[in-house]
Amino acid sequence: MFQVKWIWENLRGYRGRYIFALFLTMLTQIMYIANPIFGQQIVDTFIYNDRAAENLAEKRDLLIILCGCMIGFTVVRTAMQFSANMLYETCSQGMLAKIRNYLFANVQKQDMTFYDKNRTGDLMTRLSGDVDMVRHSVAWIIKTLLESIVLFTTTTIYFFVLDPLMALCLLALTPVIFIITGMFRKEVGPKYVDLRERLSRLNTRAQENISGNRVVRAFAREDYEIDLFREKNEDYAKANKTAAMTWLKYFPFIETTAQGLTVVQLIAGGIFVITGRLTMGEYVAFSGLIWTLSNPMRNVGTLINDLQRFMASATKIIEVYYSRPFIVDRVDAEKMPERLKGSIEFRNVSFKYEDNEVLKNVSFKIEPGETVAIMGETGSGKTSLINLIPRLYDPCGGEVLVDGVNVRFIKLKTLRKNIGVAMQDVLLWSDTIDGNIAFGRSDMSEEDVRLFAKAADAAEFIDNLNEGYETIIGERGVGLSGGQKQRISLARALAIRPSILILDDTTSAVDLETEKQIQDNLAALDFKCTKIIIAQRISSAKDADKIIILKGGKISEIGTHEELLRNENGYYKEIFDLQNGAVPDFAN
Amino acid sequence: MARNKYDIDEALESPFDIRHLKRAMVYVSRYKGRMIISLLLSAAAVVIGLFAPVITQHALDVTIPNKDIPGLILMAALLLLTIVVNITFATIRSRIMTKVGQDIIFDIRTDLFEHLQRLSFEYYDSRPHGKILVRIINYINSVSDTLSNGIITFILELFNLIFIAVFMFAMHWRMALVIMAGVPVLACFILIIKNKQRKAWQKVNNKSSNLNAYLHEGIVGVIVTQLFSREEENAEIFGKLSEAYRHDWMKAVTYNNLLWPMVDTISAIISAAIYFVGLLIIGPASVSLGTIVAMSSYASRFWQPILTLANLFNNFVNAVSYLERIFETLDEPVKVSDKEGAGELPKIEGNVRFDNVTFAYDESKTILENLSFSVKKGESVALVGPTGAGKTTIVNLISRFYDVTGGAVLIDEHNVSDVTLRSLRSQMGIMLQDSVVFSGTIEENIRYGRLDATHEEIVRACRTVCADEFIREFPKGYDTEITEGGSTLSQGQKQLIAFARTLVSDPKILVLDEATSSIDARTERLLQEGLQRLLEGRTSFIIAHRLSTIQNCDKIMYVSDRGITECGTHEELLAKKGDYYKLYNSRAS
Repeated sequence: MFQVKWIWENLRGYRGRYIFALFLTMLTQIMYIANPIFGQQIVDTFIYNDRAAENLAEKRDLLIILCGCMIGFTVVRTAMQFSANMLYETCSQGMLAKIRNYLFANVQKQDMTFYDKNRTGDLMTRLSGDVDMVRHSVAWIIKTLLESIVLFTTTTIYFFVLDPLMALCLLALTPVIFIITGMFRKEVGPKYVDLRERLSRLNTRAQENISGNRVVRAFAREDYEIDLFREKNEDYAKANKTAAMTWLKYFPFIETTAQGLTVVQLIAGGIFVITGRLTMGEYVAFSGLIWTLSNPMRNVGTLINDLQRFMASATKIIEVYYSRPFIVDRVDAEKMPERLKGSIEFRNVSFKYEDNEVLKNVSFKIEPGETVAIMGETGSGKTSLINLIPRLYDPCGGEVLVDGVNVRFIKLKTLRKNIGVAMQDVLLWSDTIDGNIAFGRSDMSEEDVRLFAKAADAAEFIDNLNEGYETIIGERGVGLSGGQKQRISLARALAIRPSILILDDTTSAVDLETEKQIQDNLAALDFKCTKIIIAQRISSAKDADKIIILKGGKISEIGTHEELLRNENGYYKEIFDLQNGAVPDFAN
Repeated sequence: MARNKYDIDEALESPFDIRHLKRAMVYVSRYKGRMIISLLLSAAAVVIGLFAPVITQHALDVTIPNKDIPGLILMAALLLLTIVVNITFATIRSRIMTKVGQDIIFDIRTDLFEHLQRLSFEYYDSRPHGKILVRIINYINSVSDTLSNGIITFILELFNLIFIAVFMFAMHWRMALVIMAGVPVLACFILIIKNKQRKAWQKVNNKSSNLNAYLHEGIVGVIVTQLFSREEENAEIFGKLSEAYRHDWMKAVTYNNLLWPMVDTISAIISAAIYFVGLLIIGPASVSLGTIVAMSSYASRFWQPILTLANLFNNFVNAVSYLERIFETLDEPVKVSDKEGAGELPKIEGNVRFDNVTFAYDESKTILENLSFSVKKGESVALVGPTGAGKTTIVNLISRFYDVTGGAVLIDEHNVSDVTLRSLRSQMGIMLQDSVVFSGTIEENIRYGRLDATHEEIVRACRTVCADEFIREFPKGYDTEITEGGSTLSQGQKQLIAFARTLVSDPKILVLDEATSSIDARTERLLQEGLQRLLEGRTSFIIAHRLSTIQNCDKIMYVSDRGITECGTHEELLAKKGDYYKLYNSRAS
C-alpha cells in the first residue's frame, strides 16, 4: 500500500517516538491484564480464606502493601498511557504540520494549468479535512491495529498451549470475520471516495458563494444560492448516511461473530468440561481472556472502516503531494547577474491555451529602458503575451528571450525578481497596505513604501485613511475602489525596483488626472527599467517608444505614435480618432 | 471598520455559557422523538445484556456439573439469542442516531448559510474568506457526533450511574459514601481545568481559522506569489501558523488527556480504600465479607460510567468551543435587512430621488452630507470625479447595500428602506468593478441574471454586448466551462459576460460601476451602440473614466469630496469651465 509507505516516509523524525509509544501501549495492555491480581490477592488472603481473620490480624502490612500496589500500579499504568497518548499526539501533529507545510509549499509552486484544473474549494478540502483524516489515522488507527494484533496473537499462543482443540474451536470464527470485513471493505471503499468528493463540492460551493458575495447581493440571488447550497449540503449529508449505513449493514454480523465467541466457548468448553478434557479452572482461564480475542475481531470492522476513509483522503492528498509543475528551473540554467538589463525579445512565439490558439508567430524586440505599449481588442492575446515573460506559461512555439537568453534557461527566481507586474485582475492580500506594497520585498523600509506609494500616486489616499499604511484591506482588496486597488498594485510592482515593469491595464480605473500623474512619475523613476504597458487609451500609449497592436494573436501594427497614425486604416488611428472625438459621434 | 487578517485571532466576546449548549438543544430537540426511541432501545439493550451473565452462571453452576448436554445447547442458544437481540437493538439505535446526527448538522449548516446570505458585504470585506469558510464546513462537521450519540450516551451513562449508586447505598451506605468520596475530588479537578481547557480549545480554533485563512489566500493569490517570487516566504508564514496551531493543539489535548488518568487513579484509590476501610476500619465484624467483595465490584462499575462521562465531557468542551463560533456568526447582526412589514416594491418606472442623504461608513468619517438630487425615469447619469470621492457609495445607496445615515433614497417615491430588498434589487441591474464569474459554463453564468432566461435571450444579450462573437470562437461556444482560475477568459471578456448577465435580468435601473474599464476601445464603441439600446427606457447610473462613455449621458454629475459640485449635460458643464472642464481637458493634453 503506497499510502502507508507515504505516511511512514512522513513520520521521519518521529519514528523513534512513535515506536516507543506503540511499545508503551503494549505494556499498558499487559498491565491491564495484571491489575486484577492485587484485588484477587486481597480477596484470597483476607476474605475467602479459612484463616482470613488471623491473616487480617497478622498481615496488616501485606494488606496495606497490596492496597498501595493497586494504587501504585494504576498510577504507573495511567502515567504510561498518558505518555503514550501524548507521544501519539506529538507524532501525528508533527507529521500533520509537515505534510501540510509541504503541501502548501508545493501548491504554491504549481503552474497556472494546475489551478485551471483544481478548484479552490477542492484544494481547501485536501489541505484541511483530508490532512486531518490522515493525522487521525496515524494517531489512532495504527495504534489500535497493533494493539489488536498483539492481543490476538498472544492470547492465541497462550490458548494453544492450554488446549489446542479448544483454541481451534474458538479460532474457527476468525475466517468468518475476514470474509465479512473483506466484503465490507469492497463495498464501503467507494462510498468514502464519494463522501469526500461531496465534501469537496460542498466546500467549493460555499467558497464560491463567499468569494462572489457581491454578485449574489447585486442580483438578489440569495435564495437561489441557498437552494444550490442546500442541494450540496443534502448530498453531503446523504453520502455521510450512506457510508454509515454500509458500516451498519455489516456491523451486526461482525459484532455477532465477535460476541459469538462466548457462545462457542460455552458449548465447546462446556462439552470439554463434561467429557473431562478441560478442568473447570482451565475453563475459567479461557473465559477470563475471551475478550482479548473478541475485541480485536470487533476492531477489525472499525479499523477497515477508518482505513477506507483514510485511503480516500490519502489518495487525494498524494495527488497534490506529488504533483509537479512543468515550469521549473533547468539544471543547465544560465548564470545570470542578479540584476538583469531588461531587454526582451519574442522570436516567433506561439501560444495555445487548451485548443485555442492565442498567439501566432509573434516577434518583436525591446531594448533596455524602452517603454512599449501594447493595445488591441479584448481577447487579442495581450495578457497572454506578457504572461510569457515571467514564465507564468511557456510558449508552445518560438522563444522568449530576456537579455538575450531564452527565459527557460533563466532561474525562475532571478527572472521574476527582475520583473514587476501589476495585473489587470488586481489581487491584494488581506494584510496592511504596508504589507501589500512590500509584498515582493518584505524587508523594505517604511520610507521606501511611502516612496513607491507616492510614485503610484497612492500616497494621498492612503494618508487619508484613518490608519494610513497600517490599514488592513480585505481579501482581494475589497473595500477599496478599483482605482485605489490598481495604484496599490502598481506600488507593489514598483517596490521591487524591477528591471522590467509590466503594467496590464493598470490605470483603467483611475481618473485621467491621476493617470497623467502616474505617467510622469514612471518617467522619473530612479532606476532604469523597461516598461511594457497594456492600455486601452491612446493617452496611456502615445508617449511610448514603440506601440504594438495585437489582433487575433498576431502583431498587426508596430511603431511609434506618429508612425502608427500615418496608417489611415489602422486600429491605432481608429482608436485615436475615436477617443479624440474626430469621428462623428457614433451614438447619435 | 476593524478588519481581521490571517495572523490576528478573532476575539470572542461572550464568556462560557451553558446557553450555547441549550441553544444547540434547539436543533437537537427537533428530533426528540427519534432520540427517545434510541434511548429506549439502548435501555432495553442494557436490560437484555444483564441476562447474559445469568445464563452463563446457570450453565456453569448447574448445567455443566449435571453433564446436561442438551441443556448446555439450550443455554448456548439462549445466550446467542440475547446477543442477537442486543446487537439488533444497538444497530437500530445507531442507524437512527447516525441519521439524526447528520440531520442536525444539516440544519445548523443550512441556518448558518442562510444567515450568511443576509449579511451585507461589509461582513465579507472585514475578514479573510477562509475564516468564514472554515465555520461553514469544518466547525460544523466537528459537532455532529457530540450532538447526537454524545447526548444519548450521556443520558444512558447518567442513568447507569444513578442505578448503581442506588444499589450501593441500599447495600451499605457508609461504604457507598467512601466510593462516592471520589466524586467531589473529580469535580474539583474538572472545575480547575475546565476554564483552561475551554480557553485552550478556543485558541486551537483560532489557530485553525488563521491557518485556513492563509491557505485560502495562498491559493487564491498564487499568481501574485509566483510573480513576486514569494513562495518561500509564504511557506514560512504558513509554517509559523501551522506551528502555532500544533502548539496550541498539544496544550489543549494535554488537558483532555489528563482527565481520564485522573479518573482512573481516583477509581483505583477508591477500590483500595474499600478493602482498607471494609477490612481495617469498619472491620469484618460489622460488615460481611460478601458485602466487601460486592462493594469493590460496585466501585469499579460505578467509576466505569464516570470514565465514559469524562471522555464525553472532553468532547462537549470541544464542541462548545466550535458552537460558540457558529452561534457567534449566527448572531452577527444583519445591518441591512427588510423592515418589519416591508412591502414589495411594485414594478418600478425608475425615478430616483436623493432627499438630503447623509452617509458615513463609521461615525468618524462622513462620506456624503445632505446630498439631494433627482433623476427622472429613463435618464442616464454619469458620475465622474476623483477616485474615492464617493461615486460608488452613491450607487450603493440606491441598491441599498448600505442604509443611509440620514435622509432618504426614493425610487418612484418609495423609500428604499421601506421595501423588501429582494423586490428592490431584482429590479435593478448592478455591474460591479470586479467582474466575478462563477465556475460553470458561460451560459450558466449569464443565466445567473435571470434564472428562467431562454438560450435565445442569452444569445441576444450577448450580441448586444458584443460577446457573442468571441464566445462562438470557443470550440464549445456557450457551453465552455469557465474555470475559477479564469484563464479561459481575459478580463475584458469577463466584463462582457458580466454585462450580458446584467442585461438578461432586464432591470429598470441600471448601475454600471467601472463596468467597461477593461474593454478595449473598439469593442467599447461597438458596445456603445448596444448600450444605447440597453439604456433606452432605463434609468442608468454610470461610473466611468472614459469621456466617450460619459459625454453621451443625459446628465453628468461631478462628485468631489465636497459632494456633487457640478451637474448638467456635457455641453453645459464644459461651458461652466469648472472641475469637469478641467477633467475633460486633461485628457486632451
